[in-house]
Amino acid sequence: MGVRLHNVSKEFGAFEVIRDVSMDIPPGSFAVFVGPSGCGKSTLLRMIAGLEETTSGTIEIAGRDVTQVEPAERGVAMVFQSYALYPHLNVFDNMAFSLSLARTPKARTREIVHEAARILKLEEQLDKKPSQLSGGQRQRVAIGRAIVRKPEVFLFDEPLSNLDAELRVQMRLELTRLHRQIGATMIYVTHDQVEAMTLADKIFVLKDGIVQQAGAPLELYDNPDNRFVAGFIGSPSMNFLPAEVVSVEGGSVAARTLGEVAHTWRVALTQSRLSPGERISIGIRPEHLKLSDDGMPVRVEVAEELGDVSYLYSRIADGTEIIVERHGSRDRLDGKNVGVTADPANVLAFDEKGQRLR
Amino acid sequence: MTMRRVENGIVTGFTVIAALCWIFPLYWALVTSLRSEENVTANPGLLLDEFNFSSYMSAVFDTKLMIWYFNSIGTAVIVTAVVVLISMMCAYALSQIQFPGRRLLYFVVLGSFMIPAQALVVTQFILMSDLGLINTWAGIILPQLIVPVTIIVYKQFFDAVPKEMREAAVLDGGGEYTILFRVYLPLNWGITTALAIVTFIGVWNAFFWPFLVITSEDMMTIPVGITQVNDAFGVAYARIMSVAMLAAMPVVLAYLIFQRRVTEAVMISSGIKG
Ligand SMILES: Nc1ncnc2c1ncn2[C@@H]1O[C@H](COP(=O)(O)OP(=O)(O)OP(=O)(O)O)[C@@H](O)[C@H]1O
Ligand SMILES: [Mg+2]
Repeated sequence: MGVRLHNVSKEFGAFEVIRDVSMDIPPGSFAVFVGPSGCGKSTLLRMIAGLEETTSGTIEIAGRDVTQVEPAERGVAMVFQSYALYPHLNVFDNMAFSLSLARTPKARTREIVHEAARILKLEEQLDKKPSQLSGGQRQRVAIGRAIVRKPEVFLFDEPLSNLDAELRVQMRLELTRLHRQIGATMIYVTHDQVEAMTLADKIFVLKDGIVQQAGAPLELYDNPDNRFVAGFIGSPSMNFLPAEVVSVEGGSVAARTLGEVAHTWRVALTQSRLSPGERISIGIRPEHLKLSDDGMPVRVEVAEELGDVSYLYSRIADGTEIIVERHGSRDRLDGKNVGVTADPANVLAFDEKGQRLR
Repeated sequence: MTMRRVENGIVTGFTVIAALCWIFPLYWALVTSLRSEENVTANPGLLLDEFNFSSYMSAVFDTKLMIWYFNSIGTAVIVTAVVVLISMMCAYALSQIQFPGRRLLYFVVLGSFMIPAQALVVTQFILMSDLGLINTWAGIILPQLIVPVTIIVYKQFFDAVPKEMREAAVLDGGGEYTILFRVYLPLNWGITTALAIVTFIGVWNAFFWPFLVITSEDMMTIPVGITQVNDAFGVAYARIMSVAMLAAMPVVLAYLIFQRRVTEAVMISSGIKG
């Protein structure tokens, strides 16, 4: 059940866009593909939909190998970023289009469409043309068109990116609600990690056509497998500092930052075998940095004070940017020099290839 | 400021002169058709001194005008319907369906568009004659079905439809015919009517080919028939002009009703012709 990919690859000519991707999306879950632009998210989604051919590997939906199956027979419905509503049909006919192609009886069609319209609060709009709707309403019609097909799997390709910020937050909640209500498997593509964190049961982080890490949102946040995932998930993103190992004592490694401000950080590492002199890169989330007089000296350039939370955009002497997140602070630190430190358990380390050291 | 005004005045003046030159023969034809034959012969002139419909009566009753009308309407409607339908289908395939030889086929279409119809007349005539289609509707219709420019215009419009439209329909279970007739055609009604009207006017006015392929008076279309009014009855100016007026009427009506669309279509297809 659910969706399963085995060693799936996709080439456009000689250009490999998806490389040997395997994944398991449990039935009823909300999976999100996230990654930077051009990493192959849409391509992967379109391969699951059958709109793009699979170069090698197999795709299974609900236990059935659908790699060679026509898109319409795969039990998937897709919501496009541009909505792809038919401008010449009203909302009702847009939603009823697939039913009419399937020669569903009129009365049954009306029942199904009205049910979907009720779920999506579109009952008042059924007679309107898409051009007479607001962006959010169009989005809902596009979702409605997917719902009426009662698919095994819903596919969304950046469905909220044409909406303004406020509406996006609202639609995000509605999508979560819809998912709970319908219970179908949903796969959602976005490059916005906030959307990914809020919507997903399981996030797949992609880069260059390779799944970098898959897991629950907080798992990726707390325990990233590599530097890319660590930097991609979380906002503002993690601070990275190049460093050199100076000493190893059991579970604790001391690493000194390179450059003129040679500050030594303690990193809790239990499994990795490091020896003094090795180059690593250490990563600390803004929220884990604390101000302390004996910490690494930084100069605060701008302090964004939002009341509950404030962000100190700072630099160390060699120009590397460091962001510090604080809560409930009322001391204005613009232009001040402060020291930052962190609990060794919250300092992550990555080797030179960007793999996480544990 | 005054410079601009002078310039505008000159341009307007030239436009008015051009318009007058263009309208003068039409005016003369209309006036002639509304005067009696004797009057026209006795006092050739430009003034409408009487309202006399006798030459119209004679055009309708003494010539085969009604039969020619019928032939013209029949052939023009059939050619228009078939041209629009096959061009649409051909353009859809060229624009939306991936198949081997697609580019080659498109170049063939483009290539055939570059060969003037006159260059093919002899071969086409021999072909029609071999097929025994001289003096038949089929003989008039078949060679006129090849209108590459319609395919090219349609292809450009289909290319401009966002590909998600097609993909959404594919996911909804639509086959190619469903997608063409239920999505692409409704999205392109504007250009479809425009192309239909332009094709219709073109076929209605076609003279050269029907003139070659038809010799029997009963199979003639109106533009060919007009030449017979002259031959069969001696020079009868008023009647010739009446027939001409009646011949032009459907085109004028079509133009007046669909003015905007026609202009659009002419601009688009001449834009492609370059
Ligand atoms: N039809 C195609 N032919 C050739 N290359 C393609 C084609 N479609 C996509 N690509 C390439 O595949 C790569 C991945 O494209 P894709 O659309 O999947 O990216 P994406 O992750 O969805 O990005 P975005 O966030 O910008 O939408 C890109 O480098 C793109 O140039
Ligand atoms: Mg994309």
